[in-house]
Amino acid sequence: MIQGLVVTHGSLGAELVRVVESIVGTVEGLTALSNQGRSALDLTAELQERLAATDAGLVLFIDDYGGSCANAAQLACRDRSRAVILCGVNLAMLLGFVTWRDTLDLEELARRLVDKGREAIARVGTRGRD
Amino acid sequence: MRIVLARIDDRFIHGQVTVGWGQQLRPNHIILANNEIAADSWQCRVYRSSVAPSIRVSILSTSEAAATLRAVREQTGDGATGLLLTGNPQDMLFLHRHGRSLAEVNVGGMHYQPGKQELLPFVYVDDRDVAAFRAFLASGTLLQARQVPGARTTLIEERLLRDVERRL
Repeated sequence: MIQGLVVTHGSLGAELVRVVESIVGTVEGLTALSNQGRSALDLTAELQERLAATDAGLVLFIDDYGGSCANAAQLACRDRSRAVILCGVNLAMLLGFVTWRDTLDLEELARRLVDKGREAIARVGTRGRD
Repeated sequence: MRIVLARIDDRFIHGQVTVGWGQQLRPNHIILANNEIAADSWQCRVYRSSVAPSIRVSILSTSEAAATLRAVREQTGDGATGLLLTGNPQDMLFLHRHGRSLAEVNVGGMHYQPGKQELLPFVYVDDRDVAAFRAFLASGTLLQARQVPGARTTLIEERLLRDVERRL
């Protein structure tokens, strides 16, 4: 099964995973990792360990492109084709992930999750204002 | 080139640097001095990729960075504003001695590693770090521990170094 790892600042990732589970119930293979207290080297090493333990593929969900989490993800995934990195994680993407990961291959899953994440960002309540 | 910030940060180029300090100080040149990163084109690419295109990025070995700092020392009117980054105090001390004398150094992040003790919640040190900090203090450099603009600054002084040394 394709695994998911939410790598973020502070406890943002842990909270996202907790909320996903409060919506769909217990989820296997979706965990969170914080950059708190970790140097770039440490975070990269930790991600490399997680990657080595995954054979079906891994989606790394990152909060912010350009931050230490995104840097470490890129450094850790240097030689790995079984991992994709998606920045700008939101709840819709994680719900899409647990819904689709059993039926799509890693590439198609990544593409769908990017679309899903983007579609989830919308201004609402503007009907009638043109 | 005027150095607007000389920062020790083992996460190198990341949000606190590009967004936090970057938006406050508006440097137009980031100089990252690190032998390992400079020798690895993939790491260079990763760290460069998160910087706005309007900001020049130089990723150099410590000796190249020192030479660059010496070369641009006299050009005070060139309009360049530099943000100098190293991953540890030893590299910054090298630049201070062989590149340009630094009146202030920002200590922004030295995270836990085995064998290091907590000096501050975001600054962990070993004997070599303490020695480098002492060398800075001996030369009159102000060591300001602060992660982001606006946060409280803690001066790293001899008393703090002695406290942590007892635990090493």
